[in-house]
Amino acid sequence: MTMIDEDPLRTVLARAADEFPVTDGAADRIAAAASTGDPKTGSVPSIVPRGRWGRVALVAAVVVVAAGGVTLLDGTPGPSPEHRIVAGPSTPATGTSGAVPSTTAPPGSNAPLVTPGTAGTATSSAGAGQPSNGATSAPPSSGQNGTATLPAPLPTGIVGQPTKVVTTGSIDLALGHDPLEPAVTRLTAIATGAGGYVAKSALQVGPSTGTVPSSGTLVLQVPQAAFDSVLTQVRSIGTVTSMTSTSTDVTGQYVDLQARIDALQASRQQYLTILSKATSIGDILSVQNQLDTIQSQIEELQGQLNLLDSQTTYATLTVSLSQSGHRPPPPAATPSGLGRAWHQSVSGFTSGVEWLVRIAGRTLFVLLCLAVFAVVGRWAWRAWRRQML
Amino acid sequence: MRAPEGVTGVGGKGTQEDIEVWLAEGYVTSFRTACLILGNRADAEEAVQEAFLRAWRFRTSLAPGSDVRPWLYRVVVNTCNSKLRSEIPHRDRRAGDGDLDRLAASGDDPAHVDQSGDVVRALQSLAVHLRVVIVLRYYADLSEREIATAIGRRPGTVKSRLHEARRQLALHPALRSLDEQAGHTDSEVAE
Repeated sequence: MTMIDEDPLRTVLARAADEFPVTDGAADRIAAAASTGDPKTGSVPSIVPRGRWGRVALVAAVVVVAAGGVTLLDGTPGPSPEHRIVAGPSTPATGTSGAVPSTTAPPGSNAPLVTPGTAGTATSSAGAGQPSNGATSAPPSSGQNGTATLPAPLPTGIVGQPTKVVTTGSIDLALGHDPLEPAVTRLTAIATGAGGYVAKSALQVGPSTGTVPSSGTLVLQVPQAAFDSVLTQVRSIGTVTSMTSTSTDVTGQYVDLQARIDALQASRQQYLTILSKATSIGDILSVQNQLDTIQSQIEELQGQLNLLDSQTTYATLTVSLSQSGHRPPPPAATPSGLGRAWHQSVSGFTSGVEWLVRIAGRTLFVLLCLAVFAVVGRWAWRAWRRQML
Repeated sequence: MRAPEGVTGVGGKGTQEDIEVWLAEGYVTSFRTACLILGNRADAEEAVQEAFLRAWRFRTSLAPGSDVRPWLYRVVVNTCNSKLRSEIPHRDRRAGDGDLDRLAASGDDPAHVDQSGDVVRALQSLAVHLRVVIVLRYYADLSEREIATAIGRRPGTVKSRLHEARRQLALHPALRSLDEQAGHTDSEVAE
């Protein structure tokens, strides 16, 4: 490939450049202009430290900030009011919780959630004071206990109406090899102590040999304000294997029902006025027919309102109890030191792989963000420096 | 002048004497470098004035003890690029040809003047990034590493651009017989 030689090129370039005459006094004008201005020490602030270690420290700081941000975002509870905790049979479970005081369920439960029994199914409708037979009791009337068990006033909504919230929850408890009856008795005591009652219970009691596990379900109605404390007490009875809590704001629905009832009552009042002035049989029958229709609508809406009142006054907590059917097998013979070491080694390796898989997604996301940040930052930095110079 | 003496002052606060030293050692070469890049004397004068003032204002960004020369050429080259991008394209491009015409009409040796005009036209036919490296290397006499610093690219990029620029210049009709003319000039100088 032909290329022009270097020495002749130097010669002709120097000669061509020498043909451009230098203006007299141009350098002096620059010197004079330069003497009037101060150096812009602050105009080119160096946000990137000089030196390799300084830049490494900057990158490390960016990594820490990005990872912290991702962790914070990951740990922020979502807007849904529902909180769920599920614990596996032998794995510690963690979850996010806003209303539930603790977020960790203790491990170690190996009892099935519900095991159908073959004998002794008992469902009864006895009072709340007889929980051992399974109970369904009526709600206590207001002020019956005479203790401060009334729900605390809820915050006022934007329409001037106290906020109406329907809270429901469910919790699964594993009792291990403990008997079912004491747990049922304690649950009943917790509900009544909080000003609530046992709305429904269904127990399946296995034979006394213990080969078939017992299980049962209790539905507790407790005042809204006492829901959290009841939940805490219930959790202490056994091992939590699953827990769900849901809160639904029904204030809008409540206000709507009230408004419709008020409107219908106003209409009824007008029809009553018309009825008092009616003279003919036909008019009276016609107005009466309208009044009957309106009255039935009012009663239907009032029923819905009462239901909402009941649901918002009392929270519903469904407790499932389960008992282990078999004693745990006796522990195997203690392995030798080498066997134990091998077992720990395998377990550690598995845990390491699990940890790697668990953090891989988040790490990739952080690295992707950092790569984009680095490319854009580098481009902007170079463009800015070029523009400044 | 083959190579500038080099503005080897150090970055720092600077005094009036320092800027005068910069100008005394580097103004003429910087100005003619800008002339070869822009092909226009008035634009080159503006560019170099602006470049020196910028460099003087931001002299504190230089690390103490570093060589000013490649950094100063970087400022000059960037100022020229800025003019080529933003100002000169919107102007009548015949202004540059006017300078070349004046070169031809000056009272120097007609052979040299004709050749100089051809050289400047050949340079203007190159792409800007090639023109810059060829002028910095063979007029300002910067090393490839210094050119890399001046244009903010890698030395390998500089080398490939120089290669391409020399190849294109060799194909230019005005410089095709440059070796013979250079030989003729050398004999004249010997006489």
